[in-house]
Amino acid sequence: MAECVKVCTENFGKGAQDIEVYKKLGGYENISERLFNMSQFELIDYVQRSNLRGRGGAGFPTGMKWSFVPRGTGKPVYIVVNADEGEGGTFKDHFLMLEDPHRLIEGLIIAAWALGSRAAYIYCRGEFLPCIESLNKALNQAYAAGYLGENIMGTKFCFDIFVHRGAGAYICGEETALINSLEGQKGQPRLKPPFPAVSGAWKSPTCVNNVETIMALPWILKHDPSEYAKMGTPRAGGTKVFCISGDVKNPGVYEAPLGTPMMTMINDYAGGVVGGKLKAVLPGGSSCAPLTAEEAAVATMDYECLASMKTMFGSGAMIVINDTHNMVDLLNVLGNFYSHESCGQCTPCREGTGLLHRILNQIVAGNGHDGDVEFMQSLCGGFGGVTICPLSISLGGPVSSYSAKFRADFDEYIARNPDHAKPRVQENYRPGIFW
Amino acid sequence: MSNYYNMPKLPTENSPKVEIFVDDKAVMVPGDTNLLEALKAVGIETPHVCYHPYLPVSGNCRQCLVEQEGPRGRMLVISCYTPVAPGMKVYTPASSARVKNARKATQEFMLVNHPLDCPICDKAGECTLQENYMEAGQNEGRMRPEYGKNYHGNPEHQFIDAKGQLRGGKRVDIGPRIFLDEERCVQCDRCVRFMRSIAGDEQLQLAARADHTYITTFPGEKLDHEYDLCVTDVCPTGAMTAKYFRFQKRVWLLSHTPTVSMDDSLGANIWLDHADGKIYRMMPRCNPEVNRSWISNTTRLACLEFGKNRLPAIDMSAIKLEGKVAIVAGGECTIEDLAAIKMLAEKTGAEVFGGTFKKVGSPDGIAMSGDPMANRAGFKLMGLADDNLADLAKRASEFQTVIIVNNDVIGEGKGAADALKKIPNRIVLGAFDNETAKMATVAFGINHWSEVQGTMVNSLNMIQKLNAAPTAPDANLQPAYAVLSALAGTQFTSAFEAFKKAGEYASVLAGLSYDTIKSSGKLLEGGNA
Repeated sequence: MAECVKVCTENFGKGAQDIEVYKKLGGYENISERLFNMSQFELIDYVQRSNLRGRGGAGFPTGMKWSFVPRGTGKPVYIVVNADEGEGGTFKDHFLMLEDPHRLIEGLIIAAWALGSRAAYIYCRGEFLPCIESLNKALNQAYAAGYLGENIMGTKFCFDIFVHRGAGAYICGEETALINSLEGQKGQPRLKPPFPAVSGAWKSPTCVNNVETIMALPWILKHDPSEYAKMGTPRAGGTKVFCISGDVKNPGVYEAPLGTPMMTMINDYAGGVVGGKLKAVLPGGSSCAPLTAEEAAVATMDYECLASMKTMFGSGAMIVINDTHNMVDLLNVLGNFYSHESCGQCTPCREGTGLLHRILNQIVAGNGHDGDVEFMQSLCGGFGGVTICPLSISLGGPVSSYSAKFRADFDEYIARNPDHAKPRVQENYRPGIFW
Repeated sequence: MSNYYNMPKLPTENSPKVEIFVDDKAVMVPGDTNLLEALKAVGIETPHVCYHPYLPVSGNCRQCLVEQEGPRGRMLVISCYTPVAPGMKVYTPASSARVKNARKATQEFMLVNHPLDCPICDKAGECTLQENYMEAGQNEGRMRPEYGKNYHGNPEHQFIDAKGQLRGGKRVDIGPRIFLDEERCVQCDRCVRFMRSIAGDEQLQLAARADHTYITTFPGEKLDHEYDLCVTDVCPTGAMTAKYFRFQKRVWLLSHTPTVSMDDSLGANIWLDHADGKIYRMMPRCNPEVNRSWISNTTRLACLEFGKNRLPAIDMSAIKLEGKVAIVAGGECTIEDLAAIKMLAEKTGAEVFGGTFKKVGSPDGIAMSGDPMANRAGFKLMGLADDNLADLAKRASEFQTVIIVNNDVIGEGKGAADALKKIPNRIVLGAFDNETAKMATVAFGINHWSEVQGTMVNSLNMIQKLNAAPTAPDANLQPAYAVLSALAGTQFTSAFEAFKKAGEYASVLAGLSYDTIKSSGKLLEGGNA
């Protein structure tokens, strides 16, 4: 394992929650004449050259997203930090905010200068109480030190940051649902267009970025964008904070360059698989398609490779599963989670995720029948691209891919029902006949 | 749900036409609207549940999917939220199996947790889910009892039925006029949007999420609003049912008469739904210019009284005109009635008074003008006084005979009673046995406005047609214009004859016929709709 440059996690374990320690470690050096002499376009160009892509899951190029924010509309530009980390297996933002809150603040000041923003909101998951404490403490220190508030560093630049506690809905990690929730409405995704960059929070241009994306900015500005771009793959620059969990010896948060082989991550960083042989890896959080052990052996952790293997890089949350687990059990947990977290807006997701979960329950309870898997697969066919947000696919995708790649696990469960070969009882109404 | 959803832009007669490609065929459609309306304009119906032309678009039912050619290939989009763009390529189920399957899947999802109680559901026959199923689906159900349904409903209203299935709330008393069936709700959100955007009083909310979502009011509050019965109209399923019509009649047994309400000078366009000579309900009739799809509870619930407390038809010979005659016309008089009144006044030298003692309010911006004198603009058009009842009260002693037509002067203004009693010969032509009829020397029953053909001019200066619903309690009842014209010597045998006579008094009516007035009315010259 080659020692890699730490971009976001370099201050971990060094007590950087305190502003003095953070400054000693080189913090807030970017908030200087140099930054305030840069034009907005220079700075956006800087970020574009770094090849930084959004770290929240979708991987949208950050510089491009910023360039979409309209200027001179007469409306304020808001920056919203998406810290509503809810995806199963993802816990990086939690540690990033807990260990290094000042880096987030510094990154936000840079982003605010680039976007001409006056205020930013950190939408933090409600359960992250230690994070919120850490953030608020850091914010107070930053205000006291003059990095935030009116006339920062003697310039005319004013900028405020507010921490907003979410109420614990998974869907509020979707940017438009997050904005609705921030505004005090029900956290349900909005119809797009308009996209938040044009009309987001309070109908104003809004830039929603992940915590890790913002936290990479200080490093990029301090060093050179080309240096950051060099670390990753040609289409996505830099390092990534990975969360490795599941059946590994050392689960945790690891920073590594994009394009690191998956088995390096598992064996070198996380100490290898424990409790059995490797069966599957979920490379990007709970909603992505799993990779089998053979696929994992050749996969690299970057957007392009994983997309070519019909799964996704997501938030870089690897869940490692050994061969003592039945994939149906895992899927049932996902079914429970996603059917509970559906916002209830679009019909396919609202009714479909619940139905999938009930069928999975039947299979796990030993009442599975032949044909149940095909029924589930055909239901998932009704999810693709028809809903406002991708939550329905977050369950539909796993159901399709688990049942395609690990069919034996399903058959094993269904075989526990002695009557599995009999068709399910038909209800006695058949509208087609009567009407 | 976001409050930011916008009203759909609807096509008008003046919409610019643009060329789009539907299933690879070039068609000209209105260019300033959404795809759903544009396709409708060229005769392609798109099934939809949550979309309503007069409610903000919320796009949650996902039933109106079409395929659109985009930069990233053919994508499924909801037609209700997709604006028409020149040259766009759209694919409907006629050519795209993907659209067909997507709609089928959405329909299946919508029915997953919907009860199959159509045989006892009041909405059966006019239910959007049924219509979509019959038109596009008719697929065999794949649900099996073991999967179980997860009925929507407030946990407080849920119960376990005889089969052990957890059921959602039935017959939830959500307000004084409405019952809510939580199981049947498909969370289309229309009622919420109606109360928020049209009624302007956000009394309904979708609570909880996923398939636990249910419609509710705020804790301890009831759904109670002047327009709350409109939520039963917009509800695509039998979730919201009006108490007054619940279990009264299967809707396919009802006949529908398109007419205009004479309750108010806006002249809300309505359907009178009747069977066996009885009016069962009143429904709004869509008119973009007048009342869109809404009518107030006052207008609507009045229909239950139309057949009650009626005056009987008596012999014409009972009416004797002696001495100086005053005719008091009420706001419910149609243009035809006014023509007959004018004719009678000319014949007998009678003086015509008109107006109401009721309080005149202001328009509410939905479906009420606030003016109880329905045909006030018609009075003005015919050159008749529309507000001089006080004058009559003062000069009552001058007259020997008064003919009161469709005007409850005594019921509305108690002070008028003493004055009018000074007139010895009091003839009342009215539909109801009200207080005015009680003080009459001759109370002559005539047809109610719901039972006559005619026209009225509303507060927007639009002339609108009334049609006769066959609901008169007595076949011998005649319209007011027939009785009055008979008194004048030449009886009108049809409403149109009276209308032609009205054309002699008011030149703007002269060129019109019942055929040239559309069902949505016709704006008269000098109008400002």
